[in-house]
Amino acid sequence: MASLLHPDRVLYLVRGQKRIRAPLSQLYFCRYCSELRSLECVSHEVDSHYCPSCLENMPSAEAKLKKNRCANCFDCPCCMHTLSTRATNIPAPLPDDPTKTTMKKAYYLACGFCRWTSRDVGMADKSVASGGWQEPENPHGQRISKLIEYYQQLAHREKQERDRKKLARRRQCMPLAFSQHTIHVVEKYGLGTRLHRQRPGAPIASLTGLSLKEGEDQKEVTIEPAQALDEVEPLPEDCYSRPVSLPEVTTLRQRLLQPDFQPAGASQLHPRHKHLLMKRSLRCRKCEHNLSKPEFNPTSIKFKIQLVAVSYIPEVRIMSIPNLRYMKESQVLLTLTNPVENITHVTLAVCEDDDPDDVNSTSKVLVPSKELVLAGKDAAAEYDELAEPQDFQDDPDIVAFRKSNKIGFFIKVVPLKEEDTDVTVSFRMRHDFRNLAAPIRPSEEGGDAAHEAVWLTHHVELRLGPLAP
Amino acid sequence: MADKLNAQKSVKIAAGAVVCVESEIRGDVTIGPRTVVHPKARIIAEAGPIVIGEGNLIEEQALIINSYPENITPDSEVEPKTMTIGTNNVFEVGCVSQALKIGDNNVIESKADVGRNVILTSGCIIGAFCQVNTCEVIPENTVIYGSGCMRRVQTERPQPQTLQLDFLMKILPNYHHLKKTIKASQTTS
Repeated sequence: MASLLHPDRVLYLVRGQKRIRAPLSQLYFCRYCSELRSLECVSHEVDSHYCPSCLENMPSAEAKLKKNRCANCFDCPCCMHTLSTRATNIPAPLPDDPTKTTMKKAYYLACGFCRWTSRDVGMADKSVASGGWQEPENPHGQRISKLIEYYQQLAHREKQERDRKKLARRRQCMPLAFSQHTIHVVEKYGLGTRLHRQRPGAPIASLTGLSLKEGEDQKEVTIEPAQALDEVEPLPEDCYSRPVSLPEVTTLRQRLLQPDFQPAGASQLHPRHKHLLMKRSLRCRKCEHNLSKPEFNPTSIKFKIQLVAVSYIPEVRIMSIPNLRYMKESQVLLTLTNPVENITHVTLAVCEDDDPDDVNSTSKVLVPSKELVLAGKDAAAEYDELAEPQDFQDDPDIVAFRKSNKIGFFIKVVPLKEEDTDVTVSFRMRHDFRNLAAPIRPSEEGGDAAHEAVWLTHHVELRLGPLAP
Repeated sequence: MADKLNAQKSVKIAAGAVVCVESEIRGDVTIGPRTVVHPKARIIAEAGPIVIGEGNLIEEQALIINSYPENITPDSEVEPKTMTIGTNNVFEVGCVSQALKIGDNNVIESKADVGRNVILTSGCIIGAFCQVNTCEVIPENTVIYGSGCMRRVQTERPQPQTLQLDFLMKILPNYHHLKKTIKASQTTS
């Protein structure tokens, strides 16, 4: 049954700040700390921006300028699909000779999914294939930019006041020259790029990053306060009696995707530039090593650093479940796969009665007490005909089959709860991990010293499904 | 009498239509000129005749079926209703159409399912995998798209696939045998 292989069936426990249970395929393994990490216990950093449809890379400064949108690609305002440019031939008079007409190419945007075209909103066909399409301007754009400028100045002035106060306590020197120095100091202590934390007393701290350069003369920017109007435009008279024509009304989602205009009618839905996506790199919070670093090129899906848990930790998967009955012992077949190239020894243990991690299990489990030996993953094994199969003495009661780096083994499960929920089983898995990344310290006797094996224990939870009726 | 019934149940393909031999056409079906029926298309007239107009494009594994309504057994007396399909329609790959009345310039996209009580006017587009089995007349130039069968009205009808039809009428006879067409003037006796 394919549903047995679903990743959500087997969860590994991550002991971070929060206890998170996640399938092994979604976890990372810090081999310096020798611990599992989930997405919530790592810090995310933006690596690069790229457009998902034209795969164009964009440096972060440019992305900020363009408000994280691609310059060439558009989104359909109706169904959010990517718009494609189509061409038609229209007869147009030649510039030299007005009487003759020649076929000129006219381009329009069309959506392949919902068949929206740029002609639906009245946008004229352009004669250039790309670059001719303009987004409509925000009517409040000027006022907003003026407000931003004013507040930037205000933040800058406040920061200078703070510097001056600090300097007045220390020494009496030229405030301007030293404020350049203290800006760096403040940024180092207060507004670190990686560990950016908002201090409670600095609400406009985020704007100081956009401040004007030091030496520039600052023009005084004044803003007029917003004026409240007494009279509001009255509603149209047929507001309550006019029947609503549903195809003409925009849905909330379509409306809110354009927060500048929020058009109520479908004839005012203009296409917007496509949002950029970003590649992110993950960093362990404890040891500050990178766990995942993607390639810079948007067309490449590979990673420069990829410390995912599936390549270090043996993976448990459910192979077959018999009919589970309340208070009756049944045998479940599980598989263990060894991801590394050397032999791994795995010991399973039942969770203690007062184990704080053992929250979800609803059944008693009996795991094999003997140590399971997993062969290393050998990529060339299928091509090597002369290789002798390694002889592991397997107890047929425990080990069902063995296939290169995978074994199938039995556990005995006794469901303890008669309710309708899934039968869940948890146990602890202890295996040896050789840190190949750490440098080998030369031993005193000389010769190659093998990597020290570290024994790691993981808490594994399995969801076996409902009781048989 | 039996001859007449048998003759009525034959397939009448007008001159100029390209109907591949591998297509399955059963019952009383009339196909207009310039229509292309791909191999593995199925046109089944069980509960009444089907009349297909001009310039239609019926792609592979499309199923146009005039079947009995579900709750009526074939034995009881039911008046046979004619299914009419207009001009310049496109039935894309794998679609199922049971609509009794289809106008002009409609497009039924891949794996769409149109029920018996739907009436398509003109310029309608039923999106891929959309199942429309309501009891209504779809207004002109409607587009039904998306997993929730969202609707919108487009300003212009979809263009007739003349280029594609011309291409197919040239290429298909090179690779497939065609069913015999019947001259329009010839009447079956």
